[in-house]
Amino acid sequence: MYHHKIIFTGPVGSGKTTAIETLSDVPVVCTDQRATDSDEIGKAKTTVAMDYGKILLKSGETIHLYGTPGQDRFDFMWDILTEGGIGLIILVDNSNTDPIDDLAHFLTAFSDFIGQTATAIGVTHTDVTVLRNLHRYHQLLERFKLRCPLFEVDARDPRDMSRLMEALLLSLDPGIRVPASEADHGAVSSQDVKPDRH
Amino acid sequence: MRIDMIDSVLSDLNGSSADIEASSVVSTDGLIIAAQLPSTMDEDRVGAMSAAMLSLGDRTAQELGRGTLDQVLVKGDEGYVLMIHAGPDAVLTVLAKASARLGLVFLDVKRAAESIAKLV
Repeated sequence: MYHHKIIFTGPVGSGKTTAIETLSDVPVVCTDQRATDSDEIGKAKTTVAMDYGKILLKSGETIHLYGTPGQDRFDFMWDILTEGGIGLIILVDNSNTDPIDDLAHFLTAFSDFIGQTATAIGVTHTDVTVLRNLHRYHQLLERFKLRCPLFEVDARDPRDMSRLMEALLLSLDPGIRVPASEADHGAVSSQDVKPDRH
Repeated sequence: MRIDMIDSVLSDLNGSSADIEASSVVSTDGLIIAAQLPSTMDEDRVGAMSAAMLSLGDRTAQELGRGTLDQVLVKGDEGYVLMIHAGPDAVLTVLAKASARLGLVFLDVKRAAESIAKLV
């Protein structure tokens, strides 16, 4: 019986907690507290420890979803949460002042973990700030010598988030059978979710 | 002004008990409000860790049917860390010696938390 663990990270407000709420088959455990800098971060609450949700696959296996806090002062949680994980999803907020710099920051902070596993990147809030193209993001990935999935997502949209998860799982094991017709998370074929690199 | 008053509550707390070595008041999202900590300690880390521990403590107490969280106690072989709500928006974190008489520490800390809750 495999239990797989995927971690969600990214800057404050990029949609990590929302993404886990979208994907989780159970009510999400979250540790949101009132943000004293709510004007700066643009929202009232912020995650201070972690989010936890899970996806229940048809086979009975589970994909555990862990979300990290976004602020650097909680970076001790990044190490704690990535322990035993099979991959990382980074969400970046396209409407931030410098989303490329944000992405670079997280690629650097998690470089060891990414080196051992894999990452997929979701660019959020593209409805807020017009995204002309993902070119600058891809340029950054080239600088980091990383080949990983990167595309626009809406963290509230189950199909977008499933697609991002599937992209991550496929990059871990190209042999995974993912039925093309179903867009929701029940579509991942669990027998093939074998973490080769562990 | 209020920070000065909170500082003096922390001074009193550290001073009143030989068992208490340091203390700080942190917002529930991990930002330091006031601190009387050894210079070797990173205030920002203490702040973030306290907020994370207390928040997890809240969820754990609720989810495991223990009611509303009272305090989080971390016991190391070189001493204790005690974290308690000081009003809805702040956390009081106290460091105590390994030889501390916990019952007395709990009382002192609870009183200090009540004073701080009125100031925050």
